[in-house]
This record gives sequence, structure tokens and C-alpha cells, in this order.
Amino acid sequence: MKVSRAWLQKYFATPLPEGEALADLFTSHSFEVDAMEGDLLDLKVLPDRSGYALSHRGIASELAAALGKPLANDPFRADIPPFPQSDALKVRIEDAHTCARYMIGLVRGCKVGPSPKWLKEALESVGQRSINNVVDATNYVMLDIGAPLHAFDADKLTHDGEISVAVRSAKKDETIVTLSNETYALDETISVIADAHSGTPLALAGIKGGKAAEVTAETVNLAIEAANFDGAVTRRAAQKLKLFTDASLRFQNRPSSALAAYGMRDVLALIVHLAGGEVVGVTDEYVVPATLAPITVTRTKINAVLGSDFSLGDISSALARLGLPATVTGEVFVVTPPFERTDLTLPEDIAEEVGRTIGYDGLAAKALAPLETAPDQERFQGMERMKDQLVERGFVEVSTQSFVKKGVVVLANPLDKARPALRTSLEETLSDALAKAKQYAPLLLSPGVKPKLFEVGTVFPKEGEHVELRMSERVEAWGDAVGTVDNLSLAKLEEYGRTYVPKRYELGVYQPFSLYPFVLRDIAAWTPPVVNVEEFLKIIRETCGPLLVRADLVDRFQKDSRTSLAARLVFQSFERTLTDEEVNGIMVALTDHFSSIGYSVR
Amino acid sequence: MQELGRLHPLTVAVRDIAAIFGRMGFGVAYGPELEDDWHNFTALNIPEDHPARDMQDTFWTKDQSDHVLRTHTTSVTVRELEKLAKEGGTTLRKINPGKVFRNEATDATHEAQFYQVDGFAVGPAGEVTLAHMKGTFERFYREYFGEQTRVRFRPSFFGFTEPSVEIDVWFEAPGKKGVWLETTGAGMLHPTVIKNAGLDPEKVAGFAFGGGLERLLMVKYGIPDVRLFHSGDMRFNYAFSSKEV
Repeated sequence: MKVSRAWLQKYFATPLPEGEALADLFTSHSFEVDAMEGDLLDLKVLPDRSGYALSHRGIASELAAALGKPLANDPFRADIPPFPQSDALKVRIEDAHTCARYMIGLVRGCKVGPSPKWLKEALESVGQRSINNVVDATNYVMLDIGAPLHAFDADKLTHDGEISVAVRSAKKDETIVTLSNETYALDETISVIADAHSGTPLALAGIKGGKAAEVTAETVNLAIEAANFDGAVTRRAAQKLKLFTDASLRFQNRPSSALAAYGMRDVLALIVHLAGGEVVGVTDEYVVPATLAPITVTRTKINAVLGSDFSLGDISSALARLGLPATVTGEVFVVTPPFERTDLTLPEDIAEEVGRTIGYDGLAAKALAPLETAPDQERFQGMERMKDQLVERGFVEVSTQSFVKKGVVVLANPLDKARPALRTSLEETLSDALAKAKQYAPLLLSPGVKPKLFEVGTVFPKEGEHVELRMSERVEAWGDAVGTVDNLSLAKLEEYGRTYVPKRYELGVYQPFSLYPFVLRDIAAWTPPVVNVEEFLKIIRETCGPLLVRADLVDRFQKDSRTSLAARLVFQSFERTLTDEEVNGIMVALTDHFSSIGYSVR
Repeated sequence: MQELGRLHPLTVAVRDIAAIFGRMGFGVAYGPELEDDWHNFTALNIPEDHPARDMQDTFWTKDQSDHVLRTHTTSVTVRELEKLAKEGGTTLRKINPGKVFRNEATDATHEAQFYQVDGFAVGPAGEVTLAHMKGTFERFYREYFGEQTRVRFRPSFFGFTEPSVEIDVWFEAPGKKGVWLETTGAGMLHPTVIKNAGLDPEKVAGFAFGGGLERLLMVKYGIPDVRLFHSGDMRFNYAFSSKEV
């Protein structure tokens, strides 16, 4: 949710903190701050708070609790004056499960035109585009208090002086053209607002308006919608149509049905203020009134969840900061959530509200009590013992991808369409890994050591999922009966690991490896009798410079008073593919250097 | 002499983590990667058609509409709590290391398959609290990252916990400015989850947590690309000096 500090400020009598200080308040008490740029904050409002906090008013209420300063002008605590009634506005809701409330208001004699500067700036400050004063008014109120709203050109819906709309399921093969001129094919699972006279779909319920009754520069009479559509129905429709809007995002998070009336009150006032005209009437089809049950919670319960030692006063003060009305009898709190706090239903919810408002920083850490029995890590230890055995025998543990070209279990929505299945064994991926390992062996292993790999991973063959151990070759010492693969889900690992303590390793900082090919060279030289291997390799490293990435002794023998030493050298660059000439140059320099210090290269 | 092979860095890390949690009484538990909807979502208080399902991009299978590639190893927590309920117990602590899957485009910081260590501690109501979770994680990160490590809780949301927090760790890489790292999602197990597992939320309560391992190791060792972990490339094993301790 993008919010502007200036917009939030209108909810406070005293200046809000700025920059990091403001961001820290959100981080500590409410939301993660995804981004901050000048006055604009992008807050990560998660599903539990999305019913009330996808609005500036909602975010301001969070700030009020964090700052301990009540909201200066809370639109939700101000009365809704009675709306004028009109017989000319009719609403029919086909299924109360789909739509708990539908309000439609008629405003006559408006003048559609550009928005004033303050409104344009407010919308632009949170990344929205100004369209005209009427559409901007609906967007502004949505961003302000969270109520999605829509404006229709009333004349396009009026038949014989009457406007009649139906909230109904779309028909199979029915289509709608949205405001952005895209055509959508509908079905019975999608709800629409339709003109009850002509049957024409006017809007995708809770998602987006249609072209049929679009407000244009010529529009003078407006029909304004404020409603409450079911979260699951809206969510499924938006997913099916792949059309996610500010409205669908809000409805799928199930805001209170009471909110619609606040939206209607504010948007009618703003439209009349900006575009003139007169509110003729509002019809409110309110089939499922909002109810929130009071929550009973004790001080003991709150402290038992948090591990805190909050007093009755601490809790009362936190609830007051949150704007949650509560009565206290003894240690029992009865909290009556205001209509917008649809997220509060359990004592644990109240514990969270109190905990985060007072702040988790002050929560004193406690150690878990020791247990009488030792923890059960036997299966893990058995698995790790198996791995340690393999490492001891020179095996390297790799991890490969679970997704492959062909398998028994196929994904409905693969990421890579060329690899849509789950592996049935580790054979293929491990043999690919081995081919690469052979190629890189001179870089990593001593001369003459051949790479051996193993992997422990889950596989999904016809017989069913299990954990497989696969080795690139047999372990001789394990006897002829043991092959290169084992089903560890069947193995008695618990027994094998009962008293085993897995080996522990300390790893150094990651050292990047070059992606360019390497070049191998051998060199052998007669050395003076006193020279040792370390000295020989040190001279090689110093002479060859940074392109030499590895030098291993491969041969040594003595003849008379002289020692012959031979080394294998691996050259590689981080920046380029080395050429033969370049490496030959280094080898010539090495040979020359050896000669100059009395070695004779063989 | 036989040249030693190398463990995968994830194995090295899981051993460190299992040892520290083991000292605090946590066992190690496993479960299936192809998980049913109940254990991955519904039992965890993430019902169908709830926006909380969008928090984890899920892989679905073609022939088993009620099975998903697990999006977290919290599914193992449900299985372990179900076992505890059958045994009539009230106290259990486990960590669940394992591979999980998210349907996200891959790049240097995102992999569709990665390792998580989730876990939980439950006990008689009131004995395992959010404060105990703080104590557990302060100790874990001190032992894993060093004595100077600081931990903070931030409010968050997960369907299966209430209250929910993110656990951040103050980390100073050598020669770099310190930052708060988001490492673990956690909270007190939601009473609905306790109930779904067959336990009585009036009698049993506790905390649950979970976090990605690769991300932690990328920070700890300075690994630049998450895709290295499951590339099957032996060069990755040898990109670290290794010393038995």
C-alpha cells in the first residue's frame, strides 16, 4: 500500500515524524516498509490487516497507536447523516452470499471536468493518475478510507425515469467490455452488476467498471455505487479473469459491510463539492449487516501468550491507543472491536495488538525449561553418519534440481515448461553432475583422484515418494551386495544413528570460481639435493603469477645426488579464456627461471 | 591416503543448527515433499480462497488436485503435532529441515526450490510463550553467528500463528555496515492449528518458526547466487575452505 506522509498528516493535529523515524514506527509496530522515497512510503500490508489498513485512514490508525496520539478527525467515528430516499433507484441482489450490501446514489446536474490541483497532487503522490473530478473523487475516497466505489453515467441506465440494477451471476458466454476497452468472456462463477431493464452487464462486481455506462465529459447525472462483495467470490473471479484491481484487492480481504455507507457519505460530499449537482437519493440494499462479537480476554491470558508481565494499566492503555473500546472487570477485559477491525475475533488477536503496541523490544527473553528426555535426532544422525562415511571415502555431496523432463508426477503449473515433472530417481541428474565434475576435477582434486559424487534427495517414482541415496560408484568396502542406490525411507537409520555424533565443519568465506576454461601443463626438473617439495611448488607459484590456480606434485625420484620433481599446473583466468600462447609464455618464463637458479628442466 | 570428499554447505549448516537446537531439546523431523492440502494449507489455518494463500506461490500437480509441492516445512509441524495428539502428550520440540518449493521466477536471489528449517516448541499452555521464543532465538543466533548478535521481533502475519512476527538479526559482514536481516517468520501457534492437529488449545500452546537456509548462508559466507546451491556443481563445494571442528 502506497501512502503519502502529507495525506496521513491530515489525520493528526501535530506534525508527524519524518523519514527513518516514521519508517521505524511502522517497522516496530505494524508493517514492513518496502520502500520509502521522500513523502511516499510503500508499506507491506499483510492479509490480516488488509481488511482495514489498505487506506490512509487505516494506516493513520496504526500510527496513532504507535505514537500514542489519537486520530484528529476519524471519519469512522463520525455519524453518517441519513441519505435522501428516492423511489427511482432500485437494487436487486440475487445471492446474499455474493453481495452483502449494495448502495446506489443518484447525483443530478454535475459538471465533469478536470480535478483541482490538491486532488491531482494527492493522487499523484501515491502513484495514481488523475482522470476527471468524478472518477478522481471515487479513487480518492477509496485510498482515503478503503471503500471501493464506482461512478456510472446515470442516463445510460435510466429507463422511464427509473434506475434499476441487479447484482447477479454472469451468464455463460456473456461478455463485458471494461473501461480500459478489454473484452472479457464471463461464466456463472463471476458476478456482475447489470442494468435490470436491458440486462446489459455494467461492471464486474468488485473488480472493474464497464464501458456501457462510462462517465464521460458529457455526463451530467451520476449513479454512484458503494458495495460489499464477497471476498472469495471476488478473488476467484479476479484470478479467473487475471484482472487484479485496487477494488478486487480490497474486497478479497473482506472489509466490513458497514464500510460502504462511509464510502457513500464521503464520495457524495466530495463529488458535490468538486462537480456540483444535487444528491437526489440513495438506495441501500443491506442484506447481511456487519456484526463483530465482543472478545473476552484476561490479563492472565495475554501474559500467557506473550510471556510478559503486563499490568491491567499497561493493557488498558495499549487498547486505548489502538482505539479499541474495552471494559475491565477484575482482570477480565471485554473488547468491542470497532466495525472496521474485522481481523479481531480471538483472545490471541488482542494479545498481539497489546504486544505490538507496547513493543516487542521490551519483551524479556526467557529460556525454555530443560526437558527430561534427550531430543530425538536419531534418524537425522543416521542419515548424517551415512554421509560422513561417504565423505571419508572421498565422495562429494551435491544437490541437484528436483524438476526433470519426464516423470510420473507432473506439475500443473511448471516454472520451466521443458522440465515439468518431478524426478523419479537421482540417476540422471547425478550422472550429469558427474560429467561436469570430471571436467572440473583437475581444478579441485589432486592428480589421479577421480571425482566421486553422492546425493541424498527425495524422488517420486511410480512406487511413491521416498528419500534416495545415490552414489556415482559403489563403495568397495561395503561389499558386493551394496550397489549405488539405496532407499533411505526404508533404511533403519534410527538404529544406525542412535549414538552417532555427526562431524562438524567450519567453512571459510565463499571464494568465487572462474567460469572460463582452464589449461593444464606439466613440468619436471632436476633440482639441487637440498630442495624440498614445498620450496619447488613455492617457486612455481611465485614465477607463474595469478593465472596459476593450482600446482600439485605428480612425481619425484632420486638419481645419484639429484632429485627430479614433476608438477601438474592448472592455469585459469577470471576474465577470459586463456590462449595456448599465453600459457606457453608463462612456461618459458618458468623454465628460464629454473635454469637461472640451477634447476635443469627435463 | 584417501583424500576426503566434501559435504554440501547446506548439510554443514543443518548440522550446526541441529546441534544448537538439540541443546535446547529439539529433535529433528521429516515429512513428504509432495504434501496434501490439509498439511500444507488447511490445517495451518490457510483456507481455500483466502488471500493468505497468495503469500506463497504454489506448484500444483496434474493428477492429484489435493496435493502440492510443500511451500514450507511447517507441514511437518502439523504432522508432528498430530502424532503428539495421538500419543496424548503435551510437550514436544522439533526442527524440520527439508526442501520446499515456490513457483517464482529464478534469479540470483530467488530459487524455485530451496531448503527451510522450520520448527516448533509446544508445552502446557503458558509455559511456552513468545518470550520463550525470543530466548530460543537469541541463543540460537548467538551460537550460530557469534556472541555479539542481536535479535529483534517485528509484527507480521502468517495464517498459522497469532501473534506473528518476523525475526530479524543484526549482522555485520566483515568490513561492511551492519544491517537487520529478515531471517525467520514465527509466532505463537494459532489455536485453530492446535485444534486441527487434535490437541486442546486450552491445554497446549507453543511457538512455530521457519526460514530459508540458502539466504542465511548467502549472508554468512558471502555467496553471490542462490542458484549455486542446487546446481550439482562440485566447484561450489570447493569454493569454501573447510576445517573439521
